[in-house]
Amino acid sequence: MKKYKATEFPYTRGSECEAQIVSPDELSAYIDKELPVWKRHLIRHHLKQCVFCSNQVRSLQRTDNFLRHGGEIEVSDGFLSSVMTRVSDAKEYEKKHASLWSRATQFIEASFGWVQHASTLAYKLRYNIRTRSPIYIFVLTFAVFTMVGATLYQPSNDRFGQSVHALKKSYELDGEKLISFEVIQHEPPKRLLTTYLRRK
Amino acid sequence: MFVSDEDLMVKCGKGDMSAFELLVRRYQNPLINYIHRSIDDYQRAEDLSQETFLRVFKSANRYEPTASFKSWLYTIATNLCRNEIRNRTRRNTCFLEDLVEEGEDIYHADIMRDTRYLPDVLLEKKEQRQIIRKALAQLPENQRVALTLVTYQDLRYEEVAEILGCSIGAVKALIHRARQKMRKLLIKAGIGKESIDEKI
Repeated sequence: MKKYKATEFPYTRGSECEAQIVSPDELSAYIDKELPVWKRHLIRHHLKQCVFCSNQVRSLQRTDNFLRHGGEIEVSDGFLSSVMTRVSDAKEYEKKHASLWSRATQFIEASFGWVQHASTLAYKLRYNIRTRSPIYIFVLTFAVFTMVGATLYQPSNDRFGQSVHALKKSYELDGEKLISFEVIQHEPPKRLLTTYLRRK
Repeated sequence: MFVSDEDLMVKCGKGDMSAFELLVRRYQNPLINYIHRSIDDYQRAEDLSQETFLRVFKSANRYEPTASFKSWLYTIATNLCRNEIRNRTRRNTCFLEDLVEEGEDIYHADIMRDTRYLPDVLLEKKEQRQIIRKALAQLPENQRVALTLVTYQDLRYEEVAEILGCSIGAVKALIHRARQKMRKLLIKAGIGKESIDEKI
């Protein structure tokens, strides 16, 4: 039989079970069918071998059966009617003593109830269009692709910062196709603290 | 067609009184029995059951169908029972069961109860019920609540944990201890020696 570490089953110290694989609390849970299947199987297997634990389970089961036969009390006939009377009384009382705010909210709810219905209907309609209409899905996809394309697109001549118009003009000016370039060299950013320290 | 408790509560939140009546019909018996076992006074049990249903109705519009109705109902009832027991302790109310001395035969005290017009069989059942109730009353509060909910109301450990606000492991321990103590108390009361093991 498999041996388990004491730490795996914490409440086994007081048990007289030699194997100590089942905690006493779990025996009650076993009776109530509140353990996972694998643990139930493990305990069932253990009970076949351990006299102490099987006696424990039997006596717990008998106690439980005895308690269950304790009998039920029948509710008196007038119980339901008295509950309903109390509830309707409470409802009436609430209506009478309702605060101004609650009355105002009730009035608003009653007056603008159709707005809520309309908004619910609109929401449902919108949801149906979004999920089911192929035209809507096609238009949406097309719009998304167009936007992405327009964002990523750049004309090929404009890549180096020259406009097409300027290029044409340079061709017209001299037939040697000379293009002048101006190189602008950016100075590295000044580090104020380091330059100050170097100077010192 | 069977309508779930949660659906009925949603309808009840919208002001459907027939849904609420159906809920009361479903739970009046188990609820009264639960409260009766907890506080051991039938008249007060009926009052508290009515109070529980009234609270359910009042907060029906705040009920969210994600939570189990059964757990919610028993949480309200448990809180009311706790308050009742606390108030009773403050008032030092003395019940007939409390007059029985420790170790005195419970059977004798039960004869003092209203048994004039009961046939023998019913009397025997009543005695058995009284002994169980007396034993239950001697359990610590959390153990009694946990055991009652599992044994008589057929609630899962998970639901009991939700009602008591503790872990499932704690519920396991509570129920096991409660059953063991009940065994001791029942044997001490001199009944069930044939059905409950003599060796504890």
